[in-house]
Amino acid sequence: MSAPGITEPTEAIARARAGDAEAWGELYREYAPAIFRFCRRAMPTREDAEDATMEIFMKLKGKLGQYDATRSFSAWLYKVAANHCWDILRRRKIRQDKETEDVESVPLEHPEPSQLERLIEQRSSEEVRKALEKMGPRARMALVMRYYSDMSYDEIADSLGVRRAFVGVVLLRARHELRQALEGNAALAAGGAS
Amino acid sequence: MSEPGEANLKHLDEMTCLLYLERQLDRARGLEVSSHTQECESCRTLLRALERESRLLTRAMFEDNEPLPSRLAQFQEAARRPMQWIWGLAFGLAATGVYALYTTYIEPWQEQLQQAGFSGTNLLGLLIFQSPFWKGWQSMITLLEILALATLGGLGVMFLRRRIRRGSALALVFAGLCVAMAMPTPASATEFRKGDRITIGKDEVVHSDLYVASGQIRIGGTIEGDLVVAGGDVEVSGHVQGDMLSASGQVRMTGQVDGSIRGYAGNITIKGKVGRNVMTFGGDVNIDHDAAITGSVTTGSGRLSLDGHVGRDLLAFAGQSNLSGQIDGSVKIRGGELNIDSSAVIKGPVDFEGEREPQVSPQATLASPVHFVKRTRGPNYSNPHYYVWQVIWMAAFILFGLVLYSLMPKFSQEAVKSAEQYGAAAGLGVLVLFGVPIAAGIACITVVGLFIGVSTLFVWWASVYFAQVVVGTVVGQWLMGRTGEFWPVVGRMAVGVVIVRLCTTIPDVGGWVKFVAVLWGIGAISLAVFRRFQPVPATGVTVPPGAQPLPPNTTVGGPVPA
Repeated sequence: MSAPGITEPTEAIARARAGDAEAWGELYREYAPAIFRFCRRAMPTREDAEDATMEIFMKLKGKLGQYDATRSFSAWLYKVAANHCWDILRRRKIRQDKETEDVESVPLEHPEPSQLERLIEQRSSEEVRKALEKMGPRARMALVMRYYSDMSYDEIADSLGVRRAFVGVVLLRARHELRQALEGNAALAAGGAS
Repeated sequence: MSEPGEANLKHLDEMTCLLYLERQLDRARGLEVSSHTQECESCRTLLRALERESRLLTRAMFEDNEPLPSRLAQFQEAARRPMQWIWGLAFGLAATGVYALYTTYIEPWQEQLQQAGFSGTNLLGLLIFQSPFWKGWQSMITLLEILALATLGGLGVMFLRRRIRRGSALALVFAGLCVAMAMPTPASATEFRKGDRITIGKDEVVHSDLYVASGQIRIGGTIEGDLVVAGGDVEVSGHVQGDMLSASGQVRMTGQVDGSIRGYAGNITIKGKVGRNVMTFGGDVNIDHDAAITGSVTTGSGRLSLDGHVGRDLLAFAGQSNLSGQIDGSVKIRGGELNIDSSAVIKGPVDFEGEREPQVSPQATLASPVHFVKRTRGPNYSNPHYYVWQVIWMAAFILFGLVLYSLMPKFSQEAVKSAEQYGAAAGLGVLVLFGVPIAAGIACITVVGLFIGVSTLFVWWASVYFAQVVVGTVVGQWLMGRTGEFWPVVGRMAVGVVIVRLCTTIPDVGGWVKFVAVLWGIGAISLAVFRRFQPVPATGVTVPPGAQPLPPNTTVGGPVPA
């Protein structure tokens, strides 16, 4: 779980923790693009993503002392970013999205596999990104945490404030919402018939 | 969808397939799923589709690598640049400000106080720390020592927090400071007495300090240490060999105090002998014809009547002052009226700053004529110094705002946002502006709460200034629009602060503008603080009654085929 192509700059982290401004600049240059991309996927608008990126790095200055050097820095950084973004979204009182409302109705059926395959094969990355923008904040955040920053179920549960047992449900519902956004096909999004 | 030969198999549900792909099933269930998919083409296809979906998601998120926006690139530059110049500027200007304040206000006061017999100490020490509560370390704490301690503590926190967690560092440093403060010689033994009526008989001797709290206090005996009294009606006719401190409604001292008399009283009358100085604040202060004070008198009172003998100087802030006794030193009085009677003998110079000309009897014996300065209310607009000071204050406010925005960028912005909630900010402002000093004052009354009370007052005092910075930023944003970037925010703050400060100089209206700005700003700050301490509601998934959670390590799908 690290930003692609980034090896952990252990020395810069240690110097930044000791208050070295130049090392702090190095860390920013190294990680800001990845964190901005994370925020870009998680937040509804580009401006929100820019604001969130700056706030995350400002917050990071104060939190760097809490970083456990035995763990992956990028993993920790993504956790901080995820918590921050989710805090912002939650404060906007948009936390009630579909997944949380009908947990009980999570489909346990067997969808039509060939139909699902066709949908996936026909869609481009660009279409998926556009579909992501149409999704509810919780669903989008769950997908970004899992498939962009590769966070574990425990970490996702902690960040979203849900029980670990529900993370799979949240992710599956998010996929359904994504399919619905991609296709506009409610029947497929709901899982289809077995 | 089932193929021939699979009809007897019940297909896996999608959740089970997803958890299997994400390696969230336990080993046994995982093996079951694996075994099933080897036989079931449909489930195998579903697994493959879900896996492709995962890959598509990841690819979509990582592609389209947008370049870092210029705003973030600028932020990067700002992050790379050390901000030491701000600190250099801040400390330089702060040092200049301290020097200006010291030379303008503190030094003249100190000189006056030294002339009045309070040499060897300073104003802050005199007003706050001189009492038996602080007696043990009275000699240690001076203004510079406090600043040095605070600086040392700050540096200690900065040094330690790089090595240990911030909370622990703070605890360690404060514990260290407390130990350091506790080290000096503790106060001598103390006797406490309280009740409805406390009397120390004429022949009684108290061999220590005496603290008395009572409605009626009569001290006729000898106190070998300090006497501290808090009561409604106090009469001291005995002999106090140390200092006498009082916070009482009415005090009469007809005996002898070898040290100094200090304190507050609604009405204080001194008829006896005082070995050192008198420093009192009260409604009426009467120094009777029989009184003999070896040192000086410093008083703040509604009415001062001095008929006795003062060995050194008199410094008074009084609405009405009547002098008919003998003063061997100088006299400095600020207040409304001054009457010097025929029996008065003053051997030093007399300075009076008041609203009316002093009334001096021709028979009074004075070393020199009274030097009178008529007090004018409000600022002196014809004096160029007034405008110079206004510019200095504007610069100081902008610098203060710059430092606060650098140190607490997020909180500052939260305070500005809160200021836009006019009603809530104003309402809370009224509460905090008046309520906090009262609460701090109450805390100061108790020895334990003194530190908390004084600290709270300092924070409140700083907030009064910060409030004007917050309001300045709001005004700047009204004029120049909103922004989230650091330097544009500082620019708007500077413009707004200049406007607010200019408005505060308008005759008659300026005071009200300042009051409203402080009220509004301090309310906004309080609102921001309040929100910070608000607990964030838990965001757990709403589980309908009876709904069963889906443990990821257990079977979620339908029954496994036999």
